[in-house]
Amino acid sequence: MAVCTGCSLLCDDIEVTLESGRIARTKNLCRKGLGRFRSLYSERASPRADGSEVDVGDAISRAAEILSGAKRPLLFGWSNSTLEAQQAGIALARKLGGVIDDTSSFCQGPLMELVIRGQMPTGTLDDVRNFGDTLIYWGSDPTSSHPRHMSRFSYFPRGEKLQKGFEEDRTAFAVDVRESPTAKIVADGYFQIPPGGDAEFIEAILSVLDGKMPKVQDKKRMISFVTTLKKAKMGFIFPGLGLVYSLKDRLDLFSQLVARLNEGVPFRVIPMVGHYNMRGFNQTLFEQTGGINQVSFADGEARRGQENGIISALDSCDAALVVGSDPVSSLPAAFARKLAKIPVVVMDPHRNLTADLARVVIPTALSGLEAGGAALRMDGVRVELAPVVEGASPSDAEVLARIREVV
Amino acid sequence: MVGAMEIYQLTPKINCKKCGLPTCMAFAVALLAKEKNIEDCTPLLEPKYEAKLKKLREVMAPLASASETGLIIHDEKCYGCGNCVVACPVNVANDPRGSAIGLGPKSDKVILMVEDGVVKCLNPKECRRFGPNRIMCNLCTSTCPSKAIEFV
Amino acid sequence: MAELSVLVVTFRDIFQSEAQEAGRYGEEYRKASALILLDRGDADRAGIKDGSAVTVASDAGSVVVNAGVDQESHPGVAFMPNSPWSNQLVSGQVGPSKIPEFKRIEARLSSASGPVLKIEELLLGIVQG
Repeated sequence: MAVCTGCSLLCDDIEVTLESGRIARTKNLCRKGLGRFRSLYSERASPRADGSEVDVGDAISRAAEILSGAKRPLLFGWSNSTLEAQQAGIALARKLGGVIDDTSSFCQGPLMELVIRGQMPTGTLDDVRNFGDTLIYWGSDPTSSHPRHMSRFSYFPRGEKLQKGFEEDRTAFAVDVRESPTAKIVADGYFQIPPGGDAEFIEAILSVLDGKMPKVQDKKRMISFVTTLKKAKMGFIFPGLGLVYSLKDRLDLFSQLVARLNEGVPFRVIPMVGHYNMRGFNQTLFEQTGGINQVSFADGEARRGQENGIISALDSCDAALVVGSDPVSSLPAAFARKLAKIPVVVMDPHRNLTADLARVVIPTALSGLEAGGAALRMDGVRVELAPVVEGASPSDAEVLARIREVV
Repeated sequence: MVGAMEIYQLTPKINCKKCGLPTCMAFAVALLAKEKNIEDCTPLLEPKYEAKLKKLREVMAPLASASETGLIIHDEKCYGCGNCVVACPVNVANDPRGSAIGLGPKSDKVILMVEDGVVKCLNPKECRRFGPNRIMCNLCTSTCPSKAIEFV
Repeated sequence: MAELSVLVVTFRDIFQSEAQEAGRYGEEYRKASALILLDRGDADRAGIKDGSAVTVASDAGSVVVNAGVDQESHPGVAFMPNSPWSNQLVSGQVGPSKIPEFKRIEARLSSASGPVLKIEELLLGIVQG
């Protein structure tokens, strides 16, 4: 059995058939996961430094030169690396006196912080499967982003306390701006809200809980929805970027709702983390520094602050190491432009936009397929990864250790 | 999916009875039910119906791949999410340690499983839509996010 | 076509994710990314045909993508797969949370000012910008 690193579900029931060392057939991988497996054979990165093809050793030396020459290097990415690579990355940031941040900074970070700090009740996906009878997909579309979420854990499977199947045992709702594939599956449980309408929707639920009339949505429908929530044996909310981006600084409103629901019945929250080991990075950095992201090691001391998040740090950092991420693609163009103006070192299995403008590119093994290690699933459960095929490139952890030796 | 009316439009519409049926409409219905083959309509093989024959073969092609229960899988639409694999009552009954609890099938008696990112139909005779006591179960189609499974 | 004002919300699509895994530089990824999905009524009123190229402009920038017409009704709102194309429209201004506005972009649609750019051309724009 192989583990899929296509998303943060880390499906561990993948069967792979090899022919002459190459993946020939797979079982149980979804379309997205299959894409990840097939990416072994497309757009692989090759070692480069200052515009020329070099060998990996030279690329590593040049990377070390750039990073140790920088006053405030930014070490960014990490959510597509193993726990071991993340540890090595934090150690490197410490040694360089640099800034370390991950994709959660402009993704699920604010919500994940509450979960990791124990300020938001949470549970595992196995709890969801066994006990979760009332589910809310909120600003998330697992069908598209985590295709096996509903079939492996949340809606369709039989669980310990839920033996009859989804039609009788579980009630699912979706709150979303878009009538997504997930919204279509939950059908009558779909609430369409306007962009930015999440706060109003939360207030409407709170009103009904207070015995008042909701200000938005059909009143009868809202009352019936809240009645169902109040009857949950164990409820779960799966918030996606839709909710996080819509609430931004008002995430306390969501905390308030979760707290209110928990006065009556247990309601847990599992953020829909995107990349396979974002949770792992947040947890690891938190354990070492007290911050889940946006940490600076300048002057030998770990300090957490927004100025160390990639969005702000691009104004102050004078070099960047980007690991397993493509911020030039995923950041708004205005921020990508800032990254293009400083020397960048990229470590990645694949060619991408950030690699194309980087001064140094170090190709790495595709984790879970060419290199082993461990990762934390979106719910914090540790999953061991073992290599499936032999690759030509060193793992992230190995490259980072080599850079650390020479900086 | 193609209906009898659409198929009828592609027949010669001359009610010649050469296929053994009284009308071209009856032939269209029989074609859809797989009781007749396109070639049973001999006039259609004449050059003047060449365009109709070509079109008819095109619209009938997906039906040829339908399993005996009439299940068609549109590979290009499938997410590989496995909702159908886990929701299928036969999979659940035959595979309590695999698909019933959300995992990939551990039994070879399942009807549906995901291979290379796309759902495949195995053991169609186990489907509840098959045989004399068949029931019109539709859990695999109603749980599909993209209408990738269809019954004809 | 008539000008059309919409609120753009970015989203994730499994076929786009699959194409991204196959490579950011592929034609499949461009087709699945350089896209804006419109409400049918909005598209009809503005005279935008399914599959035609349009220019989408926000205060942050503009980009040419292909228009699609959705089955579902969502007047005034348009959806774009999250990608380097949609990121041309996201503002560089951030509030106290420091999270860019990826899912609520005020934009105007007009006749395409040129072809849908290739990803290499977008990158060139970023490097030269």
